Amino acid sequence: MPASTRSWRARAEVKAGDPLSPGPRPHPSTAIRVLGFSLRDRHSGYVFIAPAILLLVAVLAYPALRSLRLSLAHPGPGPGGVTLLQYGELLGSGLFRQVVRNTALFVVASVALHVALGLGIALLLNRPLYGRTAFRVLALLPWVVPDVVAGIIWKWILNPLYGVLNEGLFRLHVIAAPVEWLTAPTLVLPSVILANVWRGFPFVMIIFLAGLQSIPAELYEAAAIDGAGTVQRFRHVTLPGLRKIFVVALALDTIWEVRRFGLIQAMTGGGPGTLSEVLSTQVFKQYFQFFKFEYASAMAIAMTGLLLVVSLPYVRMIVREE
Amino acid sequence: METAVIYSRSRLVAGFVYSLLTVIGIFVLFPFLWMLLTSLKQETEALRVPATWLPQAPTVEAYVTMWLRKNYARYFLNSTIVALSTAVISTFLGAMAAYGFSRFRLRGRAWLMGFILTTQMLPGVLLVGPYFQILSSVGLYDTRTGLIVAFLTICLPFATWMLKGFIDGIPVELDEAAIVDGAGRFEVFARIVVPLIRPGMVATTLFAFLLAWGDLLWVQTLTNSEAMVTVTLAIARTVQEFYVKWPELMAGALMGGLPGIVLYLVMQRWLVQGLTAGAIKQ
Repeated sequence: MPASTRSWRARAEVKAGDPLSPGPRPHPSTAIRVLGFSLRDRHSGYVFIAPAILLLVAVLAYPALRSLRLSLAHPGPGPGGVTLLQYGELLGSGLFRQVVRNTALFVVASVALHVALGLGIALLLNRPLYGRTAFRVLALLPWVVPDVVAGIIWKWILNPLYGVLNEGLFRLHVIAAPVEWLTAPTLVLPSVILANVWRGFPFVMIIFLAGLQSIPAELYEAAAIDGAGTVQRFRHVTLPGLRKIFVVALALDTIWEVRRFGLIQAMTGGGPGTLSEVLSTQVFKQYFQFFKFEYASAMAIAMTGLLLVVSLPYVRMIVREE
Repeated sequence: METAVIYSRSRLVAGFVYSLLTVIGIFVLFPFLWMLLTSLKQETEALRVPATWLPQAPTVEAYVTMWLRKNYARYFLNSTIVALSTAVISTFLGAMAAYGFSRFRLRGRAWLMGFILTTQMLPGVLLVGPYFQILSSVGLYDTRTGLIVAFLTICLPFATWMLKGFIDGIPVELDEAAIVDGAGRFEVFARIVVPLIRPGMVATTLFAFLLAWGDLLWVQTLTNSEAMVTVTLAIARTVQEFYVKWPELMAGALMGGLPGIVLYLVMQRWLVQGLTAGAIKQ
């Protein structure tokens, strides 16, 4: 029994021994008290969740609804009422299509590489190895620094003239001339994705490693006794054991990468031109640089819709469990 | 004979695993090392081709400039105040809400939890616009308080969710025993549940701190005066300047990453436990 509970008990006993206290209560009245308590108890449940819920309604739901309202408003001083003008403009905009494509590429590539690297390394680490703990601890470092910092470090490494990557490749005779990692149209997104893979795979790896270690060893032993080989054990024990964690990691990572802002803002600012613009940087620009509030809101709403659709399987899984 | 074959094969596998992990280790750590080395070089040396490995004339000039000639002390203070307040508030409120969800059969519980889950998915850019207007109208634009309120939107849903996983793992019988002994619900929460989920509280506080410390979007949109600049904003502004002094920028980046790194190394056991506990429970 934890110490806190024990001291609690002790205090309760002291109270009972106090001559001023009513002493041991007769049984029926205790029952009534407990009944009365349980009636009020439900209310105290609301008291516990009220601060968080009210705060979230005020700081999240209300602004979100305001954005929705704004996305349906006529821009500028004009007639009131509701319009789908902005959404029409979005659908017709080549820039918006490009931004959606960029976002999709950035998110899919980042998440796929996070999961591939994360799962691969977790499988490697799921055995007795020298220095395993040290490796696990250090591997998470890229994930704990701000994504702005990650972006800046890689911007320096990828610098065309003074960057250490170009120099290394040059010395290895892989390249003959400096590569413009962050300004060449075909390279800018892959370069940003590279930095984001460095930043993000450790988290997925840690989660998978924890998942692997939660699979009971008996399952592997039983499978081995039944004559299952390495591949079969992986397919029938490891993968099913990781199913839930797979959904969680995939969902959280996807949500985070769709929302990613600082990394891209620091590395390219969306450039060159608009070639590395993603939804978050583009909404930011439309709102705070071009002051197209209604249009930016419509884009943000579209982005939110995308996020909600993407995370549907995750939400369904969690709700079913609860 | 057969054992020898297996033995050498497992040696081969081990060698393969270790060399692979070494390559990954270099990929993970080299950027940090390069950042540190660059920050200790003079500008001319940082721009030298071919590059030098170790600084030929090591200097802490970049750090001196940051702290004495530029305003980094203030940026640091701002980041610390904002991130710490956000972390403490969201962990406290999150723990209360998590207790409520974990222990009570509330009407509309599924909806309310769905609400919290959904709030985790709303992108920041959906909210910054209205926030800008709302905070301006109540006089909280360009204040640390405004930033803290904004960061709660990111941290509170996550804190609630993470801590619920921990509280679910504590037997209800402990609550019941204390209630039979005459404890009120809040006493049960504060004296029994909170001490038992301390690892989760530490992990959640740290995670919320990292989220708030690392943000750029909200700081960039909800502040405009020099007095309110945070470390991440300072770094992001420097990189957009026409002429970038890389040693200085690397020193700034290092300082921006250091609090997270130090806190993580000190508390890494709890953070990893906390991040995975919710996801692991079958």
